Amino acid sequence: MTQTEEYDAIVAGAGHNGLTAACYLARAGLRVLVVEKNDWIGGAAVSRSLHEGWTYSNCSYVCSLLRREIVRDLDLPKYGLQVIPYEGGASFTRDGGRFAYYSDADALRREMARLSPRDADAYRHYSRAIMRQCRFIRPFLLRDAPDPTSLRPRDLGELAYLVKKAHGLGRRELGETLRFWTMSIGDFLDDHFENDLIKAHLAGSGIIGTGLGVYSPGTAYVLLHHYMGDIDGGIGAWGFARGGMGAISGALAAAFKDMGGTIRTGAGVERFLVEDGRARGVALSDGAEFRAPVIASNMDVKRTFLEHTDPRDLPDDFRSQVERFKIRGSSAKLNIALDRLPDMPAAPEHASFIRGDLHASESLVELERAYDDWKDGRWSARPYIDMLIPSRIDPTLAPQGAEMMTVFVQYAPYDLYRNGIRSPGNWTGEARRAMADAVLDQIAVLFPDIRERIEHTEIRSPADIEREVGLTEGNIFQGELTFDQLLFNRPVPGYAQYDSPVKGLYLVGSSAHPGGGVMGAPGANAARTILRRETSGKRMKGYAA
Amino acid sequence: MSGADAIVIGAGINGLTAATVLVRAGRSVCVLEAAAQVGGMANPRIAHFLYNLSPLVRADLGLGRRDWPFATHPLPSVALDPGGRHVVLRGDEARLAGGGTPPEANAWRDMHARLTRYGAVLRQLAEAAPPGLEGGLTSAAGLKQMLRLGWFGIAMKRLGRRDMREFMRVLLSNAYDMILDEMPDGPLAGLLAADAVRGGAVGPRQPGTVLSLIYRMGHGGAVSLPAGGMATVTGAFERAARDAGCRIETGAQVTQIVIEGDAVRGVETADGRRFDAPLVLGSGGAAATCALAGPAHFDIEAQRRLRNIRARGTAAKLNLTLDALPEISGLPADLMGARMVLAPRADYVERAMNAAKYGEISDAPVIEMVIPSLTDATLARNGGHVLSAIVQCAPHDLSGGWNDAARDRLRDRALAALAEVAPGLPDLVTEAEVITPADIEAETGAPGGHWHHGELSLDQILTLRPASGMGRYAIGPNGLFLCGAGAHPGGDVMGLAGRNAARAALGAEGGR
Repeated sequence: MTQTEEYDAIVAGAGHNGLTAACYLARAGLRVLVVEKNDWIGGAAVSRSLHEGWTYSNCSYVCSLLRREIVRDLDLPKYGLQVIPYEGGASFTRDGGRFAYYSDADALRREMARLSPRDADAYRHYSRAIMRQCRFIRPFLLRDAPDPTSLRPRDLGELAYLVKKAHGLGRRELGETLRFWTMSIGDFLDDHFENDLIKAHLAGSGIIGTGLGVYSPGTAYVLLHHYMGDIDGGIGAWGFARGGMGAISGALAAAFKDMGGTIRTGAGVERFLVEDGRARGVALSDGAEFRAPVIASNMDVKRTFLEHTDPRDLPDDFRSQVERFKIRGSSAKLNIALDRLPDMPAAPEHASFIRGDLHASESLVELERAYDDWKDGRWSARPYIDMLIPSRIDPTLAPQGAEMMTVFVQYAPYDLYRNGIRSPGNWTGEARRAMADAVLDQIAVLFPDIRERIEHTEIRSPADIEREVGLTEGNIFQGELTFDQLLFNRPVPGYAQYDSPVKGLYLVGSSAHPGGGVMGAPGANAARTILRRETSGKRMKGYAA
Repeated sequence: MSGADAIVIGAGINGLTAATVLVRAGRSVCVLEAAAQVGGMANPRIAHFLYNLSPLVRADLGLGRRDWPFATHPLPSVALDPGGRHVVLRGDEARLAGGGTPPEANAWRDMHARLTRYGAVLRQLAEAAPPGLEGGLTSAAGLKQMLRLGWFGIAMKRLGRRDMREFMRVLLSNAYDMILDEMPDGPLAGLLAADAVRGGAVGPRQPGTVLSLIYRMGHGGAVSLPAGGMATVTGAFERAARDAGCRIETGAQVTQIVIEGDAVRGVETADGRRFDAPLVLGSGGAAATCALAGPAHFDIEAQRRLRNIRARGTAAKLNLTLDALPEISGLPADLMGARMVLAPRADYVERAMNAAKYGEISDAPVIEMVIPSLTDATLARNGGHVLSAIVQCAPHDLSGGWNDAARDRLRDRALAALAEVAPGLPDLVTEAEVITPADIEAETGAPGGHWHHGELSLDQILTLRPASGMGRYAIGPNGLFLCGAGAHPGGDVMGLAGRNAARAALGAEGGR
């Protein structure tokens, strides 16, 4: 049976960006349909019960980047979004040493001074530099990237805004800013600190999710990308969504439905229907067809245009640019159900950092070697792990007394090397277990008895993440955050404002400016563009406008 | 005690260029060089090619606009392949050494055209002091700078919209992706990747390496061998300076830059002499120049920035004396005199450069070499041949330090790598001289033995070179200028840093 229904707009993919765009479109009065291939919504912001009694946020796992303008516009707390800030984290060494990071400035200073009095002094300089950069960049997140080759008033206006903000930094600060944006996090940390463990702890955010090493230029910006979030007004603060990351998607979906939107799960877009160079609707994998003059794709740029759009509807040049867009899988994920909290001999009892992010990398060199493994198609022998036990903060995630642990693993290649061949097909069950073993060895640095505590483990290679979530190569940002893929270059020069060569077909996912992280900015920005270009007189309302 | 209008410290290519520009503008100039001979890193033991020298510098120095005052031999480049399918590059043309056209030929023609076009745009920036951030937009200097940026903008626009977009995308990208997007991995890709990282402490996958490749192609990318070797080139620079009326003293080690009040008064040398001058231009590293002046004359922020300049040389020089010409299977004899690059694949280069990060010598190094005695018989010795090779990676900060055992290790690894394409070569070696980055630093004062006196990375170019706030040659007290490769636009035998610095110094005179 073929059904054809008419909508004002169809959103392909119910990830957080798709839902954000859908909300803003519905709020402006459009009839909006969201279609999702999985039986559940959320994309990479999900909470799933994969082992009885335990809830896994099995992709993204922490929250802070979600733009507060969006939270306010859509009134998400009303729909159940509650974010609990956490107070720090720690890194551990093989010989029992540790560095704990506290959000309390005095505690942090004492801890740093314990390792290096010089670094404790340097931290003030460092954190001020980072915060200044955060403040500089945040206003740009909810704006469109100007096209520097265009002379349209809108682009010139955006360009002028950029120049004005840069000029406002002052001469000295502008120099520091240019330098910061182009340098590596490793070099930036080497500039400031002497202690290896402190540097290793701070460096992690510069590489998470990317195909870059700590000494690759541009990773200082990636660090910023992870820091520019805020919770309760505190820049750089991180938190958990109560109920797991699915709470964010859940709140967005509830808000959307409240505005009269429709979500249809269980069948994804097979093909975008294009007639005379204009999007007309979508054909789904279960045979259903829906028509609308506006289609917003939450899929990444490669999936949208290389897999689900007829090549005849796209200029060759555009297709080859999309083919060149780099989306590299570099991270894996372990979700672990624990029967109880494992022992932590290197930490004092009731240490607050147990509720934060835990790591086992000792130096920048170790992190760089982990990257070299990845370049050659191997998972890192000593991977960087970003590990959390969210059930310590949110007990609803695990049964009484038990714990739920989430481990982000960097680096794991998408096309694993084996017997002379690099292919995602090499991620066999055996390979995944061997990778998990390397990760557990790292976890054992903190928790020597980790293996005895495990009830269930979900191992997700980049190939698994691609298969389930639909992110190409399992890349969490829908595309590398490198200079050649940011701002007006993201995803493709000339189409950086959410549009495409097909009229009415828009990108709302994090392949578009300003990129990934559970931020919602691409979705909100794209909705603004859609309303401006596709409707007469409808404008986006709210803080994000 | 003797005096001049300006003192230049160091008689390398940039120091001599700066001095000559000043002399030709009517100043009396004295160049003080610590070593026994002029030339700095263009010393024939260290450098072997001429490829990036700016026509502007030549014109300003009277070294001819089109023809050099000495003979040069343009060399093709050969990308060596252990399998014998060597690729020969002549300008934008790629051919197989054994005859025929390699599959990458078209991709190379397009890329060559594009990169030289981009190089011409960027050259505008190299040929003047970088845009400064001081003074504001309303001052005369500010307006002049805006005008220059306007020209740059127009040059970008003239690329056309499509090319301009590609330029802005690729500029900050990494060479590895750019190359492999257009051609399969192989010897040609390897050669380009190697050219993108030569002299630096980065691998081709590092963002910013496209820029260093374009930098190399800024003057077309053609490589030539001067008749008589690099000594002829340094000699020509020295003669240009002397003919213009410049005084050059070798063996004169400057130990202090004399500063009174907030202005430079001259320098003192190790033998206790004092030279008075209101202008001093240092062609050594920024940090070394500041140390000569004394830390008291720089604010603490400037000192912190100087300390953080990254300058870790990774290129060692290997000079071999051979008792006969080696054979490279698949390479015709007439190509043995070419510039040969051993970097069979781009990922080979990436792996070779990994070692830089850990202070190790590469197991399988990237080698650029030439047998100059084939082209220029005057360079041959006792009927044999000489082979000059640049070997990467051999980091300045080798863990364990550079000693004879480490030098031997470097030589052996380089010979083992060369034996892959020229199996008989190791047996022909009668003498081998290894010059490590540490040796280069000791001999020439170049920080870290680095080709550019500081990594040419995105955070150390233009206004940020050598460090933020010091990008326009003047540093610290009045009258003190940087004129070496550590300043914008960087090194290679290019001469622009010296020329730009001299012009900045002349411009500043009027202001006081």
